[in-house]
Amino acid sequence: MAAGCPSSMIVLMSSSSHIASRVAASLLGGYAFSWGFTVFGITLLVWAGMSYHEAQTLVFMLAFLVFLVVFCWAFAAARVARVWGVLAGGGAAMTAAAWWLTRTLQ
Amino acid sequence: MYQSFRQSMAWLHTWFGLVLGFVLMACFFFGSLSVFDREIDRWAIPSSRFEPQPMPRFDTILGPAMRALKPNPQDYARTQERVIGALPAPETLVLSSFWAYTTHRDPVLVMGGEFAVPNQPKDASDEHQHVHGFTTIDPRTGAELPDSQLKIGSRFFYPMHYSLHLRWMNLGYWIVGLAALVMLAALVSGVVMHRKIFRELFTFRPHKRTQRSALDLHNLTGVVALPFHFFFAFTGLVIFAGIYLPVGDTLLKPLHDADEIREAERTGLPHDAAGVAAPLASVDAMVAEAKRIWAERDMAGEVGSLRIEHLDDANGYVSVYRAGSDRVALVGEGIHFKAGTGELLRADPPRTAVSSINEFLTGLHLQHFEHWLLRWLYFVGGIAGCVCIATGFIFFVEKRKRQHAARGESGARCVDALAVTTVTGMLIATVTMLVANRLLPVDLPQRGDWEQYVFWGAWLLAAAHAFWRTAPVLQARIAPAWAEQSVAVALLAVLAVILNWTSTGDHLLRTIGNGYWPVAGVDLTLLGGAVLAVVAANRLRQRAAQESLKLSDVEAGATTSVANGRVGEIAHV
Amino acid sequence: MSDALLLFLALLCNVAGLAWLALAMDVHWRQVRGDQATPPRVVPVLRGLGAVALMVSLGLCLRVDHASMAALVWVMALAAAALVVAFTLSWRPRLLVPLAVWVRAG
Repeated sequence: MAAGCPSSMIVLMSSSSHIASRVAASLLGGYAFSWGFTVFGITLLVWAGMSYHEAQTLVFMLAFLVFLVVFCWAFAAARVARVWGVLAGGGAAMTAAAWWLTRTLQ
Repeated sequence: MYQSFRQSMAWLHTWFGLVLGFVLMACFFFGSLSVFDREIDRWAIPSSRFEPQPMPRFDTILGPAMRALKPNPQDYARTQERVIGALPAPETLVLSSFWAYTTHRDPVLVMGGEFAVPNQPKDASDEHQHVHGFTTIDPRTGAELPDSQLKIGSRFFYPMHYSLHLRWMNLGYWIVGLAALVMLAALVSGVVMHRKIFRELFTFRPHKRTQRSALDLHNLTGVVALPFHFFFAFTGLVIFAGIYLPVGDTLLKPLHDADEIREAERTGLPHDAAGVAAPLASVDAMVAEAKRIWAERDMAGEVGSLRIEHLDDANGYVSVYRAGSDRVALVGEGIHFKAGTGELLRADPPRTAVSSINEFLTGLHLQHFEHWLLRWLYFVGGIAGCVCIATGFIFFVEKRKRQHAARGESGARCVDALAVTTVTGMLIATVTMLVANRLLPVDLPQRGDWEQYVFWGAWLLAAAHAFWRTAPVLQARIAPAWAEQSVAVALLAVLAVILNWTSTGDHLLRTIGNGYWPVAGVDLTLLGGAVLAVVAANRLRQRAAQESLKLSDVEAGATTSVANGRVGEIAHV
Repeated sequence: MSDALLLFLALLCNVAGLAWLALAMDVHWRQVRGDQATPPRVVPVLRGLGAVALMVSLGLCLRVDHASMAALVWVMALAAAALVVAFTLSWRPRLLVPLAVWVRAG
């Protein structure tokens, strides 16, 4: 069985700090990315004419699926730096875009 | 993180599943009990053992009970902390809104309201300045029922499954939310790891080694109930999305607030009070009109919830919502009337596609529908989830215990002790609480608090026993804690049924004879659980006996190096 | 017929349908009949019977409840039926003999 692989299978995961970074990226980075997706998704839909309530309902449903996908990807991706970059960077970029878009919507 | 996708998913499944599995166990078990929360309430509060009642008439029952509502002392104190200056005396506060709520399973009726306060809030963004009041009444007479008795099902087990009763900073919600996300990831990674989902769909080999049969059962319960597990973890997250992603209170607050005002304009339901007093027209007439409109839409039904906003004000309105019954979706079909005249203000329009999907998903989880078979199937699905998690722990321990024993490590023992605590220990805590419920004097002050102390105390004792009686795992044997706690569960469950009989006279022959299934069902489930616990304890003892026979063979017939070789061989299976 | 009876029949159909699908697999055929493998000409018949039984069950659920509710009842009943079939195969496999009584011992 594959669960809890013997040490010979471990190739890239050598240190506990690497594991800690990977876990933190999956949770914190994943949350940041989902947050960015949520605020950007809602503002984009509101900008396109949907009511806020409706947009929020729709994006909330999608947000947890997005979190699920990026959470799993955080462990499948080859390099942890890339995971941090995409998740934290993407989350920040989408949040900034949403912030800019809400200002134009008022 | 590993070379292959499958290996990285296996790492995620093993370690996140292990750590959050202890939380998921509580979510699934108390969630399963919540399917029958009202029935457990009836068992725990014998004075409420009568047939479910429809929403009572307003003019004779609800109205007088509403006028008798008092501010809740604890909420009064909490509100005092949030406002500037002293609050007016509790008995002088004026009720500004009202709600009453019932379902097809409730003999008693819960109702409450908000008392307006004139004080300014300390925090300007704090918009909800009022003191809450709530009570439970007998809908046949309007008599107030003492709220000192804990509704164990709907006020303890039910909130336990989504908040763990950790209220500080909503910590419990966040832990459960993380556990739900991990559940989803465990399902995805489990499917990736499992090579033969369809070929081994019905495979369970109880006579093989514990490690093999535990994995069979883990796969079986995980795969057959996969859609159930996925949708319950997912919809649980969606229901509390506002807590996990509070965007409307932060970055998107301007959009949210603008939408709220637009919504009030669109629906014509006043957002604020007018400040001019007005009388209340006959609410019973409004209810009759609402029922007529539902019947016209081919959705005839009973009233589930009744609300009055801006009570005794010219802007006041009454909303009547339909009880969930024949649909999965939580559809209120709200009909709104002007409180002063009874004039129809608005009937909720058909829902959009997005909110239809959302209401189906949340309705699927919250199960307000009237369908006993589906309720039992949910219960079976939830217990299957518990079995899946518990066998996951057992597999984890079985896979590692020989290796850990050979190396003198205690990891497997610690996991086994935690597994005992969260599996049988949780059952002990639950059943002990029911026993305490029947033993504590009825007039004991703060009786509900005592029941909760007993619950946590019993769980703590079970944890101590689990850590003590898992020592044999250090020698790669089965921990006696499992069998011992199973016996304790069986004894306590039988005791609970007997105590229910002696303290209320409701033995099974009587409750089944009268067809009073809420109490008969709890008793029968307790007895069924006791039988399963005894069977489990016997099987565990047999396995332990076989195991020690085998181990002594190995010790007698082989040198340490051979034993180590065997350990190595097992570890690589 | 009463709703309770129809739902009971739906449950039975689900159990029978999944049992037929299981019998189409060699390993379970062996558990039930003691023979080596499912006779090749019987496999499509068993699969067909299984599929028909599951569809009948869905039909019965739809007769009793609103469509959205019926689909949910059916999916949940499938899960319960799969557990029943799996446990019967492990502990009392001979109980499933009547489902293939028309196949002569091979």
